[in-house]
Amino acid sequence: MKTTVIGAYPKVGDDAAAQELRRALHRHDRGEIADGDLDAAYDATTRAAIKEIEEAGVDVTNDGQIRWDDPLAPFARAWGGVSRGPLERFYDNNTYFRQPVIKGPIRADGLTLVKDFAFARAAVTRAELKGAVCGPLTFATLAEDRHFPSLEKRVLAVADAVAAEIRGLKDAGATLVDVEDPALVALPAHIELAREAYGRIAGAGVAICLVTYFFPPDRILESLASFRVAQIALDVRSRETTALGRLDAFPKATTIVLGAVDARNTRLETPDEVARLAEGALRLVSPDRLWLAPTTSLEYLPRDVARAKLAALVAGAKSAGGVEA
Amino acid sequence: MSEVLPTTTVGSFGKPDYLTKARSQHARGKLGTTELEELERKATAEWIRRQEQLGLDVLVDGEMYRGDMVAYFAERLEGFKIGGLVRAYGNRYYHKPIIAGRVKRPAPMTVSWFEYTQSLTSKPVKGMLTGPYTLLDWSYNEAYPTRREAALALAEVVREEAEDLERAGATYIQIDEPAIHARPEEIDIAIEAMGLVTQNLKAKTISHICYGDFAAIYPRVLELPVDQLDLAMANYGYRWLDLFEREPFTKELAIGIVDVHAHETETVAEAAEGIRKGLRFVPADRLWPHPDCGLKTRTVDECMEKCRIVVEATKVVRKELAKVPA
Repeated sequence: MKTTVIGAYPKVGDDAAAQELRRALHRHDRGEIADGDLDAAYDATTRAAIKEIEEAGVDVTNDGQIRWDDPLAPFARAWGGVSRGPLERFYDNNTYFRQPVIKGPIRADGLTLVKDFAFARAAVTRAELKGAVCGPLTFATLAEDRHFPSLEKRVLAVADAVAAEIRGLKDAGATLVDVEDPALVALPAHIELAREAYGRIAGAGVAICLVTYFFPPDRILESLASFRVAQIALDVRSRETTALGRLDAFPKATTIVLGAVDARNTRLETPDEVARLAEGALRLVSPDRLWLAPTTSLEYLPRDVARAKLAALVAGAKSAGGVEA
Repeated sequence: MSEVLPTTTVGSFGKPDYLTKARSQHARGKLGTTELEELERKATAEWIRRQEQLGLDVLVDGEMYRGDMVAYFAERLEGFKIGGLVRAYGNRYYHKPIIAGRVKRPAPMTVSWFEYTQSLTSKPVKGMLTGPYTLLDWSYNEAYPTRREAALALAEVVREEAEDLERAGATYIQIDEPAIHARPEEIDIAIEAMGLVTQNLKAKTISHICYGDFAAIYPRVLELPVDQLDLAMANYGYRWLDLFEREPFTKELAIGIVDVHAHETETVAEAAEGIRKGLRFVPADRLWPHPDCGLKTRTVDECMEKCRIVVEATKVVRKELAKVPA
């Protein structure tokens, strides 16, 4: 049973040394440091995040998304035809994102994350590295659209752009890419449209983890199970859900990435709680098809709590590891 | 209030530079609490004078003594811990509170500020509180088994504070719930909790709601037991008014007619048009023009300009209404 992370890792901690990036951004805003100095701060913070995740014993990491202002920002910045609009609340969090504004056909060169991925590849020492992109339904439904005549056309155009980014990551060496798409479970009515979008993404030729969080997949679980993805991440902590008892709906080849520690509450799970949750899943899924993760980005937590959550996750996975399927 | 279209503001104003500096010195241990409070009182008195000069009808203390609308209360309630830094957006971080034990109010939290501010003016000053649902939603809940239980416990301490404000003479009490649409499926919890807060109050009660999907909680939000809903409208191009076409709006409406997150301010004509839009759904004696949201992110001059536009636009529309024969 492997452990992994999802989304962004906290960019700053509470001690002064862990606030280098925050200070660098302030100073960059005031014109006191050059772009290169800010870049160096991003790099140092990325290295530190990867180091903390590895030290916690996590098997598969991402780059911590230290350069991401929000889950849509790198794409809204890079893609042609898209600009960034006002601040909006990101689902049910007291966390805000810049709303992408689609003003024309979306143009993606697929290189948005390539440099970051290459940097992270050099930074990891022990863990496997995976890539991550925004989900097409999430981007399309959170954007303001001044161009496309319908939601369908918008979602599919975003899916093509996302597929280009995934191909870029694949060329940079990624073998697994998370597609973070909470809209799938937030807006289950669009499940068939999402299926079409994921059909396009499947063509990118790399293993995809379809990452859902914040909301339960209950209403669309069987539909989700028929998506052609290698992995699916489920948040079984944020709200009441029946998903844990229905994991046998997923095909034998699909890996379940179970959100086993709540990344949106400081209350710390014990390794035993994590193990019990995993053992519940292991009744329906074999250990080689079950990974454990935080429910979502650890950036919803203070950094010291994020670290403690990862420690509980890893300890829980180890103690559940011996259980027979 | 004899005048139609009474004007007010949402609660916070920009802090003068000397206070911003003093707060950061205080945070670094380089300025005493008494000295800081002296400056907070000075800044409060300045804002009362400015609001009177502007001609606003119902005043606020401007929240010169608060940083964050949840942390201020969390720091004064038993049961809360102040957590580590969490990012809100961009490079903005805040200390997200943790409900770590049963919540209690050891002492009044805002009453002395209300008394001081009201002593400076003959116009009514609003008592300003954060609602129980928002206190819950913007904190981590480690202590209560369910979100409902946490919200109801928080409602109890907010009720105590609101009743103390009323005893101190507040005739307007605002209990803000900007997080109310965070989880639309929990609107019943927000309504139940607010009911506990306002059940014994005779003061006019108000709740400010902003930044979220208001459509997702309309018309259920009309069951929130307050007299007045206070809504950001200009920032949203007044689109929430369309909802009132289908389901009539039944409360008093404080209508946001200037966007607070832009440095530039709407013209008097644009703001007046916003009021006229509101008048299609709410009569003039129940419609309160004001800025969209608290003005704490703006400079003092920007705050003044935005409030001036609100007052001028209101005068324009009041004149039009006076011309129309009853």
